[in-house]
Amino acid sequence: MRLKIGRAVGLAALLATTAALAQSKPVAGEVAEGSLKGKTLTFVSYGGIYQDGQIAALKEFIDKSGVQLLSDGPTETSKLQAQVESGNVTWDVVDTADFPPYVYCGKLFQKLDFSKIDISNIPEGQVSECSVPAMNYGVVLMYKNETYKDNPPKSWADFFDTEKFPGSRAIEGSGDFSGGFMEQALLASGQPVDNLTVADIDKAVEKIKAIGPDTIFWKTGAESQQLAESGEADMIAMWTGRAMTAVKNGAAYTPVWQDWLVVMDQLTIPMGVKDPDAAHALINAYLGKASQETLAKTTSYTPIHKDAKPEVDEITAAFMTNTPDKLKVGYQQNIKFWVANFEAANEKWSAMLAGN
Amino acid sequence: MKLPTRIILGLFCLLVAVWLVAPTFVVVPMSFNEKKSLAFPPDGFSWQWYQNFFTNPEWSASLVSSLKVAAVTAVFATIIGTLAAFGLDRMKSRTSGVLRALLITPMVVPGVVLAVGIYAVYLDTHLVGTMTGFVLAHTMLAVPFVIIAVSASLEVFDKRLETAATSLGASRLTAFRTVTLPLIAPGILSGLLFAFVTSFDEIIVALFITSPYLKTLPVQIFSSITRDADPTVAAVGTILFITTSLVIGAGLIIGSRQGRR
Amino acid sequence: MARTGTTAMDSLANNAPAVPASERGTQRMADQPFWLVVPALVLLVGVLGVPLAIIVIRSFAEPDWGLQNYAWFFNSPVNLTVLQRTFTISAWVTLVCVACGYPYAYVMTVVGPRLRLLLILCVLVPFWVSGVVRTLAWVILLQDSGVINSILRGVGFGAVKLIRTQTGVVIGMAQVLLPFMILPLYSVMKTIDLRLMQAARSLGASPARAFVQVYMPLSLPGVYAGAIIVFILALGFYITPALLGGPRSTMLSTLIQNQVLSLLNWGRGGAMGVVLLVATFVLLAIAMPLMRQPHRRGRDA
Repeated sequence: MRLKIGRAVGLAALLATTAALAQSKPVAGEVAEGSLKGKTLTFVSYGGIYQDGQIAALKEFIDKSGVQLLSDGPTETSKLQAQVESGNVTWDVVDTADFPPYVYCGKLFQKLDFSKIDISNIPEGQVSECSVPAMNYGVVLMYKNETYKDNPPKSWADFFDTEKFPGSRAIEGSGDFSGGFMEQALLASGQPVDNLTVADIDKAVEKIKAIGPDTIFWKTGAESQQLAESGEADMIAMWTGRAMTAVKNGAAYTPVWQDWLVVMDQLTIPMGVKDPDAAHALINAYLGKASQETLAKTTSYTPIHKDAKPEVDEITAAFMTNTPDKLKVGYQQNIKFWVANFEAANEKWSAMLAGN
Repeated sequence: MKLPTRIILGLFCLLVAVWLVAPTFVVVPMSFNEKKSLAFPPDGFSWQWYQNFFTNPEWSASLVSSLKVAAVTAVFATIIGTLAAFGLDRMKSRTSGVLRALLITPMVVPGVVLAVGIYAVYLDTHLVGTMTGFVLAHTMLAVPFVIIAVSASLEVFDKRLETAATSLGASRLTAFRTVTLPLIAPGILSGLLFAFVTSFDEIIVALFITSPYLKTLPVQIFSSITRDADPTVAAVGTILFITTSLVIGAGLIIGSRQGRR
Repeated sequence: MARTGTTAMDSLANNAPAVPASERGTQRMADQPFWLVVPALVLLVGVLGVPLAIIVIRSFAEPDWGLQNYAWFFNSPVNLTVLQRTFTISAWVTLVCVACGYPYAYVMTVVGPRLRLLLILCVLVPFWVSGVVRTLAWVILLQDSGVINSILRGVGFGAVKLIRTQTGVVIGMAQVLLPFMILPLYSVMKTIDLRLMQAARSLGASPARAFVQVYMPLSLPGVYAGAIIVFILALGFYITPALLGGPRSTMLSTLIQNQVLSLLNWGRGGAMGVVLLVATFVLLAIAMPLMRQPHRRGRDA
């Protein structure tokens, strides 16, 4: 199952039209004046500049609705689990990584009511039953200019081809597996990914192992950035944000956008929140164009509103992934498969990382 | 010792000494990097990371939290640990041996195992991300250091002095206050310092029980390292290094003056 | 500070359940000294005992009662590899610490007071910078384009892979743990009367022989004390291997953290924790008598 994001969309358009017909349809970014006066919402995310940017993006919502917004974090599924199990849920809107809303949909996260959220401007394929995207970024193939000069790699297939493209490779080894990367490994070995099976996970792992014992597994974003800045690896699969900073710091590397892997954070509402309507209103406001532009400007993450055009410098703009040309070549992992086989994939991935 | 042996031994020591201090000194130049990068050697010169440390609320708030937690921890741990050391000192040897071994177990329990357990308890008792939670966990971790430090001074303390004082008519409490306490004060003080440092530098348990409202400095440093390459971390390291050096330098000078007196 | 370090470590070196001053204290038992220990015990039970008990219980109880989590642990080749590796790395770290700490501590006992102060300072300086920052510094030192490799290249050697290797992890961990080796060693060595060596020499022993037969046995309690502390602390290391190591240097603590925080699998995480805990205490139980006996002999000598 391979989805090109840019491809024309029946469903989303249809949804948008139906929503338009319905009365009091929500418009992303809007909230009624004073509608949440006296109410309190707790917004949970990962802290740092990111959460600051998110709060800044919600400023208009806070001012207009009169809500009191608290922030908490970092998001830790185990903490949420404890809250839901004890029936004392204090987190109202939670920013999570890409898998949890799928794995725990209906268990820890409630199904969203899309009559209260305007999702018409979100890039295709990113909304799930229990989540909307909070921002986009990607994993992009960066190659060292000096190593490949006139014959640069053009795809993930070249990344896995150590004969035609000799040199060291660096990939993420922080513990969480990337389904998209494993699918690319399969594609590179000539294996279709339309009908993934558990056995394919092993094949993908084998292909990744075949890059050789010199593969560098970076564990933190900072580390990947450093690999680029010091020129230690010839090809690096790295997050767009880190790639951008590395280039800003003078790393002589070039991105290959073909099949860059789409990654996102998600916004969710836990089961058993006291005021689901208010939580939905927050998410709806968050998705607005102006909010998304603020978010992108403060955090350098890609906004999830198609028309958002944040004012950012040239290099930052070059690494924004919501432009039509990049959306056209982005690669979405088969999230259903990876969620259904979450534990098996995690175990095999950790086994590979641990050196087995 | 023959000369060649001495030279080899000396060079070896020099090497070990360099190995011990190298990381500390690598941090200093990194903190003046002009770019937001941890590449070495750094590029250019700037004070911006120091400025960031003091003006960015995330960094300054975490410093304040750490100081608060460490100070409260140090006080509690010193009181509890000193009492325990006295108790152990006055017990039958077999009981005290067992109890002492029990009381220093926090030092040997693997950090992550302890952290997972504490995290489980705190999730149920709503202590995650609270001052109480941090102080409780850190005090438990710091008490063994106090017990060890105070016990060491009690061991060399001649109890006949206290007996002499009481026999001369001083009350138990007076004897303790005027004779025992001043003599074992260095032990208590070093226990207090150890407790403070234990808490100030504790990271594993803190990583599990932290929240944005209460984030200690090591946690902030750790998340900064894992999220992006921010030389502010190096600036923090340098500030800590200089502060500690000053405190210890002052201690040494005062100590040597008193010694001369 | 220097003295602080040594006094604290002194009594560690004199092994944990140190020789109590009971003989002196017995005549004044009226005070019920047990009550003085109660606050510490309450804290210990509440913040250490209860959490560890919960881990043990959950390891048997989740998701169902039984030994499933342990069966899983001991049937998974990855877990066994990592367990074995945790021990191997800790053993290497201990070995490196003994090899580097022993001569260093010895030199500390024979030099003049100025130089001794300097040597002690070098042992303590690492404590002055936050542990996490220090690990970051090691990343900078060890990376392929890092300081160490620049020097090696400068002197004409080829580059060596250090970062993300077990060697790198051992170098970083040993640096963190070396003070825990040197301080107990020093506190034992400084009590050894060097005239014993002279006596042995005058009786015709070669310097090497005098050292091996007289000095070394006397210093063994320090070696045992330091080695056991280093080994046990190394077993539980988390931050350093996580940041300095590569996939082939993952240690058990990282897997535990992953089970609990990423997979919400408290049962399996708990079982791994119990394995680590049991290993630690078994080691301690074996090492305690070792640390005690030669020590007494040392005193008699």
